[in-house]
Amino acid sequence: MMIPVRCFTCGNVVGEHWEEFKARSAEGEDPAEVLDDLGVDRHCCRRMLVSHKDLVDVVSPYQ
Amino acid sequence: MASDFEVEFIERDDRNARFVVRGLTPAFANGIRRAMIADVPTMSIDTVRFVENSSVMFDEMIGLRLGLVPLTTPLDDYETGETATLALDVEGPATAYSGDLRSSDDLVQPADENIPIIELKEGQRLELEADAVLDRGREHAKHQGGVAVGYRHLQRVDVVGDAGEFDEQESNILRGVIETEDDELVLTDEFDNDLTERYPGKEVEVHDVPGAFVFHVETDGSVTAEELVLRAADSIGDRAAELEEKVAV
Repeated sequence: MMIPVRCFTCGNVVGEHWEEFKARSAEGEDPAEVLDDLGVDRHCCRRMLVSHKDLVDVVSPYQ
Repeated sequence: MASDFEVEFIERDDRNARFVVRGLTPAFANGIRRAMIADVPTMSIDTVRFVENSSVMFDEMIGLRLGLVPLTTPLDDYETGETATLALDVEGPATAYSGDLRSSDDLVQPADENIPIIELKEGQRLELEADAVLDRGREHAKHQGGVAVGYRHLQRVDVVGDAGEFDEQESNILRGVIETEDDELVLTDEFDNDLTERYPGKEVEVHDVPGAFVFHVETDGSVTAEELVLRAADSIGDRAAELEEKVAV
């Protein structure tokens, strides 16, 4: 629903990078380069951001 | 047994450190690693009192997310089990961030300000009071100060001759830090982790250096990397002293 605060595997905080990652990759930047730039180096942390989908907009009408 | 350790830093900043320690046994190296993960306490939100939560998430889910937010930890001012209070009040349409948490103690603050807690729509509101408690990583992973803490053997690379003139050079991948023939410590990132980049056309031999370990320490921001290592070493010392006292006749 919301981006997980930490990486499931290593415990690194990934949540803080989500909004920048989302904005920059939507602008057409290569997501791999954005992650390198943000300092998300390990593949366990990278998959947290790459595979995430925000669902708050989807569930909010059913409150 | 009471020999001095030789410590040499390769990388060092607030949240990240890489250093070589010589004169360790593998058991002691692992002891330090485990102490960094499980024995250095950090502050983390443990109890949450909700005043209002009309967001799309249940109280428990928000409680979990709050618990995972790293908080800066003044280890000199708090004992294990002591608490600090934080409060959050955000009204939609807006996103509640970790930076919106207001703390009763200026020294206990969210280490990262941009972690989204929950997105609030029009008319939704989140108001809560939370207690952060100082505890150790062995109680709950949210109290771990160290993230991906590890070590590996220091490897020494010796050039033993030239590679055959027409031999196909296969890449020779190493990770971490190597020691060269001139006793220089080189980060493998500098030559793309591939020894054939550094020694093209040479034949090399790689050996582990006995008793030398390369630690890589990363923290979540609650304590600095330096403090994490020092506190871990202290905690081993304290436990050894306690054991000595308990078994003394």
